[in-house]
Amino acid sequence: ALDLGRGANPKGYMVDEIWQELAKAKYLLWEHASSKRSWELQSLKEACETALREKHFLDDSQPEGFLDEASISHMKQLEVLRQVFRKAGEADTPGEVPDYLCCKITLDIFRDPVITPSGVTYERAVILDHLEKVGKFDPITREPLDQSQLVPNLAIKEAVQEYLDKHGWAYKVD
Amino acid sequence: MVLGSAAKQAEQLRKDGNLYFKKDRFGAAIDAYTEAITLCPNVPVYWTNRALCHRKRNDWLKVEEDCRRAIQLDHSSVKAHYMLGLALLKKQELDEGVKELQKALDLGRGANPKGYMVDEIWQELAKAKYLLWEHASSKRSWELQSLKEACETALREKHFLDDSQPEGFLDEASISHMKQLEVLRQVFRKAGEADIPSEVPDYLCCKITLDIFRDPVITPSGVTYERAVILDHLQKVGKFDPITREPLDQSQLVPNLAIKEAVQAYLDEHGWAYKMD
Repeated sequence: ALDLGRGANPKGYMVDEIWQELAKAKYLLWEHASSKRSWELQSLKEACETALREKHFLDDSQPEGFLDEASISHMKQLEVLRQVFRKAGEADTPGEVPDYLCCKITLDIFRDPVITPSGVTYERAVILDHLEKVGKFDPITREPLDQSQLVPNLAIKEAVQEYLDKHGWAYKVD
Repeated sequence: MVLGSAAKQAEQLRKDGNLYFKKDRFGAAIDAYTEAITLCPNVPVYWTNRALCHRKRNDWLKVEEDCRRAIQLDHSSVKAHYMLGLALLKKQELDEGVKELQKALDLGRGANPKGYMVDEIWQELAKAKYLLWEHASSKRSWELQSLKEACETALREKHFLDDSQPEGFLDEASISHMKQLEVLRQVFRKAGEADIPSEVPDYLCCKITLDIFRDPVITPSGVTYERAVILDHLQKVGKFDPITREPLDQSQLVPNLAIKEAVQAYLDEHGWAYKMD
């Protein structure tokens, strides 16, 4: 429905409504799969931390509070462990969508990106709105710009889709 | 323009130097450029020409000296930044060297995106970036491997301490323990994923070269190509978009800045992709 709607009228209210519902559904799909994964990862992470700590205290022969090489190495271990689990849970942890996948005006991830002759990429509906209501120029470079000069940035569109496939939390629309 | 007598002489010496260089007589070339420099020390080209001779003789300290002088005289000298970069790499100053090479590449692309220099600079930059990645990644891999083994050992020991069943008895705790180890393996595999060479995503590659983009440009039909390759196509094959076959002129090419950023972000995370075949 979204693809057909965009073909006919990219700025229409229907397109926006369809997008909202689609995003909501994709988000729910992600949420369901992800909370199960997150729980599993969290348990394992805690089990590892506990096991490593216990092992360190068993092995460690220094008096309490003494910061020796083994203790420093143990703390570094825990730090790396945290990074490892953060990386493993990346798909499930809301973060920041990379700049180049977001419209500089809306600051949201692209839905239908178009590029202007100055090389800047915008959300189609937003730039069309700008050209109609504000003026016929590129919002960032201020170079003269007409609707007919907008080109679909197919490569970025593909990049956005791949990002959403891997980071379902990004479907959440505020 | 009327050249003063010193400038005229210096220019003649430069020409002499160039001739010696072509004949691989680097010592004689250096002498000629040195004389030119003595007469007119503020001409950047004399310094970069001499630096090139030093490069041929692997005299990297002198290359660095002459390039730094040239840069003082001309901040945008592609050759000076390039050779300075190479000299710094030779000194194992990888980060500084890479910075200079990047500067040379950006300047070079501005002036002549299709020039031979741009390609050469890119090759050297990619080589250096790959080495940087290789070094950092083997360190990371080792760190991950040690930690993984430490976790596996600690979990096993804890399981055997906690487990009160006779050996060989497969109970819930044992099954849960084995599942734990399996998930652990997946976690560490994911954590080390970025360092394992795989396939660069399609949308980051030129459809003609199949290589990751260096300088992507987009056509009015929405397709993105490698700049040097599409320029070549327009010049030698015809003035049309290779994939959609729509009419296409050089002036219609637009730099795909967003994809360029995406490529850089990908290379920062996946340094193995710098490897040139």
